[in-house]
Amino acid sequence: MEDALCQKGEPVMCQKGEPANGACLSETGLEVFRVNSKFQWLDRARREANDTQNHVIDEFLAGHIDRRGLLRHGSAFGLSAAVMGGLIGAPMREAHAGTPGATIRVASATPTGAINPVTVADLGGLVLLQQTGEFLIVDEPNLQLKPALATSWSANTDGTVWTFKIRKGVKFISGKTLTADDVVYSIARLADPKQGSNALSVFKGVLDPTGVKKVDDHTVEFHLDAPNGNFPYLVSSDNYNAIILPAGSDAADFQKTFDGTGPFKLDTFTPGQGVSFVPNPHYWGPKALPAKVQFTFFADQQSSVLALQGGQVDVIQQIALQGAQGLINNPQVNIINIKASTHRQVHMRTDVGVLKDKRVRQAIALTLDRPAIVKGLFHGLADIGNDSPFAPIFPSTNKSVPQRAKNIAKAKALLAAAGLSGGTELTLTTEQVQEIPDYAVLIQNAAAEIGVKINLKIETSAAYYGQATYGNSDWLDAEMGITDYGHRGVPNVFLSAPLLSTGTWNSAHFKDPAYDSLVASYVATTDLSKQREISGKIETLLLDETPIIFGYFYNYLAATAPNVTGVKVNAISQVFLAGASVG
Amino acid sequence: MGKQLAKMLVKRLGISLLTLLLLSALVFAGGQLLPGNVGRAILGPLADAASVAALNHQLGTDLPVPVMYWRWISHFVLGDFGTSYSFQLPVAPFIGHALLNSLKLAGVAFVIVVPLSIFGGVYAAMHARSWIDKVISISGLSMTVIPEFVSSIAFILIFGVWLGWLPVSATAPEGAGALTQIYHLILPSMPLVFILFGYIARMARAGTVEALDSDYTRTAVLKGLTWRVVIFRHVLRNALLPTITVVATQLGYLVGGLVVVESLFRYQGIGSLILTAARDKDFPMLEAGILTVGSIYVLATVGADVLYTVLNPRLRGGGR
Amino acid sequence: MSATTDSIVATLAGEPAGPPKNERLKAVLKSPIFLVGAIVVLFWIICAVFGPWIEPYSPYDDDLLNTLDPPSWQHWFGTDQIGRDIFSRVIAGSRSILLVAPLATLLGTVTGTTLGLITGYFGGIIDTLLSRVIEVLLALPLIIVALMALVALGPSDPTVIVVIGIIFAPLIARTVRSAVLAERQLDYVSAAQLRGESAITIMFVEILPNVLPPIMVETTVRLGYAIFTVASLSFLGFGIQPPSADWGLAISENYDLITGGYWWTVVFDAAATASLVIGVNLLADGIQSGFE
Repeated sequence: MEDALCQKGEPVMCQKGEPANGACLSETGLEVFRVNSKFQWLDRARREANDTQNHVIDEFLAGHIDRRGLLRHGSAFGLSAAVMGGLIGAPMREAHAGTPGATIRVASATPTGAINPVTVADLGGLVLLQQTGEFLIVDEPNLQLKPALATSWSANTDGTVWTFKIRKGVKFISGKTLTADDVVYSIARLADPKQGSNALSVFKGVLDPTGVKKVDDHTVEFHLDAPNGNFPYLVSSDNYNAIILPAGSDAADFQKTFDGTGPFKLDTFTPGQGVSFVPNPHYWGPKALPAKVQFTFFADQQSSVLALQGGQVDVIQQIALQGAQGLINNPQVNIINIKASTHRQVHMRTDVGVLKDKRVRQAIALTLDRPAIVKGLFHGLADIGNDSPFAPIFPSTNKSVPQRAKNIAKAKALLAAAGLSGGTELTLTTEQVQEIPDYAVLIQNAAAEIGVKINLKIETSAAYYGQATYGNSDWLDAEMGITDYGHRGVPNVFLSAPLLSTGTWNSAHFKDPAYDSLVASYVATTDLSKQREISGKIETLLLDETPIIFGYFYNYLAATAPNVTGVKVNAISQVFLAGASVG
Repeated sequence: MGKQLAKMLVKRLGISLLTLLLLSALVFAGGQLLPGNVGRAILGPLADAASVAALNHQLGTDLPVPVMYWRWISHFVLGDFGTSYSFQLPVAPFIGHALLNSLKLAGVAFVIVVPLSIFGGVYAAMHARSWIDKVISISGLSMTVIPEFVSSIAFILIFGVWLGWLPVSATAPEGAGALTQIYHLILPSMPLVFILFGYIARMARAGTVEALDSDYTRTAVLKGLTWRVVIFRHVLRNALLPTITVVATQLGYLVGGLVVVESLFRYQGIGSLILTAARDKDFPMLEAGILTVGSIYVLATVGADVLYTVLNPRLRGGGR
Repeated sequence: MSATTDSIVATLAGEPAGPPKNERLKAVLKSPIFLVGAIVVLFWIICAVFGPWIEPYSPYDDDLLNTLDPPSWQHWFGTDQIGRDIFSRVIAGSRSILLVAPLATLLGTVTGTTLGLITGYFGGIIDTLLSRVIEVLLALPLIIVALMALVALGPSDPTVIVVIGIIFAPLIARTVRSAVLAERQLDYVSAAQLRGESAITIMFVEILPNVLPPIMVETTVRLGYAIFTVASLSFLGFGIQPPSADWGLAISENYDLITGGYWWTVVFDAAATASLVIGVNLLADGIQSGFE
């Protein structure tokens, strides 16, 4: 899929009220734009932009970042869509295009527990939160940030204080009007360690509940623990728990009413089976097209695929390639294929046993034939990884760092240098999730080529995570393990929780002060080329130390029936249906 | 006769109650052994330890075991199955729904297998020692021992995927009528039909053979009654008796033991409910589920004994 | 599984001895049912023991460029998700099940026989108490009990053996108990008691040899169920670990692929399981008819 802003072949409309001088006069803004003076228009834009925003414009004009980078970075710093659209030449749409009145039936994963916005951590639960709940910002499938409940945002010069303007005229389904109080309540609750929210993985070390401050009824300030150039992503739909709820509401009661500000409201909820939504008549944005949206929970992929083929559902929230290979070229099914940063971390404990020596870890990493794995396990629908969290889709990834490739001779030499030419034995513990057991077997076979015997222990996810604290969890204690990591829009979480000395997900027990300080400066930087410089250093450090093997980043796949249009899906597996129609 | 029957009934029910009580205690104790931590299971792996401890205290999972057991059993008896730890919602509707699903599947299986196997058994007996008899007996035997997942896979592949005659998913679309639901349940009931056919046919055959040999039948034939009348009045009844026993004792299995079939056809019956509850350490759900299955089995056995006694003319006279 | 079948077996056990043992043995060996069963079981035993010499490929080597190939001359049963040869894996899979199931049955038989001897010989309170406990255990479908135990103890080969053995013990105990009850009335027992023999000697030296026939029949029947249960447990994910080529595990790993058209990843393992189970049951039937 391309990163275009509009669908191919769709008529493009102008942003309402846009002066003829700066944007479009006709259906296709492009031609008009070329006619008008680019620089005249730009000057005006520059005068309104602040330093950081201007810097992004500079980078783009100088060719240091491409269109995509501009979109992402520009939106992160609050450059308005109009400005960016003007720079690129592809204006935005307003209302949903399509036929209203359809019933859209979605096959989604069975939620693993209560639909509690504070605790939800699974695919099945998070997709339900975003039907009726809304975020401050939406992270679009093309990685651009779009204003939702926040109309604009900007940072101070060093990126420690972010100010968000809250949209006016928004009502909750229960009738209450949205104000800054609701935003403060919702975000502070997620950042509060005492609440034990799943979102702590995002906010820990970044935002303290006391740092969320109401300025006035429609302005909120976030005072961060440390400078953070990517903060808007952390309160966007990327942080799937961060829906804005009424101040004072009990999160455990959410599943009774699904109260939110979104385009849909609750119709009926049958726990364990499904839930349906109908349009919210008082929604602040364009009215939702479907007359009804019906989610049915499927415990496994096979049933949902059969249901799609049998015409019982129109959309499947997420498909793993394994088991669905036959669907890819099937004309009866429309596959949505999005590049993502979803990956598996193969960690190796750096503090015990033979894996203490980084040469052993490097050796094991060198036995993997990554292109073959991508071809065999994913039929090419994945990117190979270079043993760092920097996935190819991140603009801040430094692509000049050499890619690690299979090299048995070098691996054997490293092992010998570490004194293990006679081989050794390790246990790899992991969870029964999608292709992970197959990946484990492949690693086992690969390591055998250099004399490393790996024994496998495959358990259920619950058993693997255990109590999720050091000493009580196979995930955090096993000498080797494979853990599934879902997509994020920026690599911040991947860099911190699993690899920082203070990280709570640090299965490799990796403690490196040089790494910690590099990450701190990466996170604080607001400048894209500087970020790339630092990421290059991080990637090189991790290639040397190899506490974790990042073998691949695989694409996100979803499916719709061929006659369904307007379904927006992102790599976190959120499904946006307000613009969906059938036929 | 009535008094004897009543006495027997009371005694049997009493023993059954005791059995159920013992079962509940066993299940509860067993549940304590399951790995994992309730608070953690609800809040997920990422919540911090303090919240988990707080929740555990709130749920009362840190109380001594006998206290927890007493709390639970006293509520259960009054119809309060408690609140599911995983879903934070009352357990009873889940059990009810799953039980209904299991009963529907069992029902469809029964309706297919009982007439089929009785007919097969009686027919085999009437042509005893012929090749038909041998075929029915041997195939019955073979089908009984095939693991459910093997026969399920065969059925899914042949009728679901290759021929496309029947739907592979056992769960009909929401709001479907009774006929559609039955249509979806035909394929999953096939493995059960396979397993039960052998047993029931064998029983029916044995009962029929015995009946055909009996004086009553000979007398009836001599009296000039047609075969048809003889069969329907006397032979079938004798064939039915052991059948009822088999069916009743298999009821426990048919309702709760179908974890594999439910898993294969992704059907939300009580077997899968119990499996998921065990995996998630969702005590209230787990115990309610197991006690339900156990109760059905015990009640079915009592029912079978009663029915057998009532229907069997020879046993009506004396006590058991 | 069924109380009625067990009682039938018990009734049969109580019958007086038929023709002398040698003749019975000959009859059993000649019966076609027994022979077919024996051939099938022997075939799988050969696969289990001589597997490495028969397998054309290693059951564990992956081949990422040839994943999910349909059956062909190079790969008779096709390849799986990471390119392993399925024919070799089916042969290798016989090993785990032919190890776990018989051991579990043996454990169940030994435990059950002991329990049955005790309850049958002593009677009274011990009998009542143990019978009640057994009845409680039997109120639940076996697979549920096995599941709960395995969730508690974690899946592994030894755990499966112990769990299934313990679950089978009550059923075998019931049969043995009935048989012992019948034997207890006979003269040789009273004679032994008068002689002053200890209870243990009476049970194991005097009574046991006479109740062996029903035990043997029951054991062979149980073996069939053991294979059935072990395969089902592997299928549900509670048995043997990857990369084992165990049939139940392979079916559960590849089940999702059937509707995609990749039938060969599942059908051959399923057929292997079916053939083994049927074979063992035919064996059991053959032996049983030999004692009738």
